[in-house]
Amino acid sequence: MAAAMVLLPGEEIPTDRLPKPKKGKLTLGPGLQHTPPSIISATTAGSLQVDHRKAALWLEHAGGRYQPSVGDLVIAQIHHSSVETFSCALTPHTSFAILGQLAFEGVSKKTRPQLKAGDVVYARVSRASKWEDVEIECFNSATGKAEGMGQLKGGMVFDVRPAFARRLMMGTDKEGVSKGGVVVLEEVGGKVKFEVAVGRNGKVWVDSGSVRETVMIGHLLRGADEGGWDVEGQRKAVKKALRDV
Amino acid sequence: MGPDISHHPLHGADGSVTFSSKLCSILAAANGPVEVQRRDELPEEAAVEVNIRPVSGVSGPRERWLESVVAAVLRSVLHLHMHPRTLIQVTLQITKAPSSTLKGAVQDVALLPSLINASFLALADGGLPLRNTVAAVLLAVVSTGEVREEPSEKELVGCKSLHGLAYNNHGDLLLSESAGGFDLAEWERIADQAEETCRAAMAPLDEDGVVMEGTTSSGPWLRQELTDKAQAAVAWREAT
Repeated sequence: MAAAMVLLPGEEIPTDRLPKPKKGKLTLGPGLQHTPPSIISATTAGSLQVDHRKAALWLEHAGGRYQPSVGDLVIAQIHHSSVETFSCALTPHTSFAILGQLAFEGVSKKTRPQLKAGDVVYARVSRASKWEDVEIECFNSATGKAEGMGQLKGGMVFDVRPAFARRLMMGTDKEGVSKGGVVVLEEVGGKVKFEVAVGRNGKVWVDSGSVRETVMIGHLLRGADEGGWDVEGQRKAVKKALRDV
Repeated sequence: MGPDISHHPLHGADGSVTFSSKLCSILAAANGPVEVQRRDELPEEAAVEVNIRPVSGVSGPRERWLESVVAAVLRSVLHLHMHPRTLIQVTLQITKAPSSTLKGAVQDVALLPSLINASFLALADGGLPLRNTVAAVLLAVVSTGEVREEPSEKELVGCKSLHGLAYNNHGDLLLSESAGGFDLAEWERIADQAEETCRAAMAPLDEDGVVMEGTTSSGPWLRQELTDKAQAAVAWREAT
């Protein structure tokens, strides 16, 4: 692949860089804007990524606040509860996301979950629009199954950058190689037992046998994020941390 | 070379940058979109708030004025309609300012280009939606009548007039603040030079990352900074 092209805000994408879709439809991701009829320009500074198979293109950017979009898995903290909904914080200082009291698996009006302020839930964004409040749910509303979502009991939440959370969630390819280039969790998992949930809003929840191990995993993740460690560097740091615990 | 820039020094803020030019240093933080106070809320677009903190003491009317000028420029740079009913907040802490006593207006104009550059870089670091790229430049007409880019403190003390201008990548003038005495012909000459300098700051790089157009000493520093940062962000892709 040729070196990624870097665009500055307001610059147009040269037409020869655009993928040629079979259906004649392009998908634009974050950081790009379409000005009819045919101008596609950048709205932030980032490197252009193109997926030719899906005819999709987006700008990859490291920082910034999480912007909710439908389908994202997030870790939300309950702020307060009202008659029918919980108000949850996804990112600091933004208006609250709404979580229905009945948006959990197998819940009826009589068995609604008793969540207090400060409790943490793993949820999916079900509605996101710039004009109204974000809505999240702790079950798949099509099937009624929890699919791993719900309240996260115990453990600790660590803040990472949203871009790093995205890399953590990319999973592995067929050969078992991490697509996002993050091997911290796999490496630690070889030695220590723990549970983890990654929220797209830049939060990682970790729970293991002891606070010591939990904090160690959190520190490793933050180090890999802020230090920009490569795979080899991550392996080294994990080995060192496991020796110290 | 261009100004001294370090990205993301603050961890709590969405975007931050330290920006040091010859005359002053600025620590800028950008947060947004965040929840807005009811009285500042705009139904169709985001509100922009700029806070300027001086080197020492509390901010006064002078900082209020600087804030209003910077906010006006940022409003034309940001895509405000993308985040209605929210707030985009920029905080600029001046950490070093010209120490010698300057005439009031000269002192204010001398700071403006650095404030604009620092806040633009902070907004870019925070990933906020931007309409275009902007660069600002400070030009001084010294006592001999020569025009100096990014003048030193000594040159400021005896200068005839001082001009802070900002241009975006389409060549639109976004900021024009001047101090001192000058005529229209002189201003036009200065504006042309400023546009050339601003465009040189974001001129394209060629294959080896060497300057392609623009012959000014500082080169395309703005593009270089943003390019380096964007490439660092995708370094993990090359590795896998």
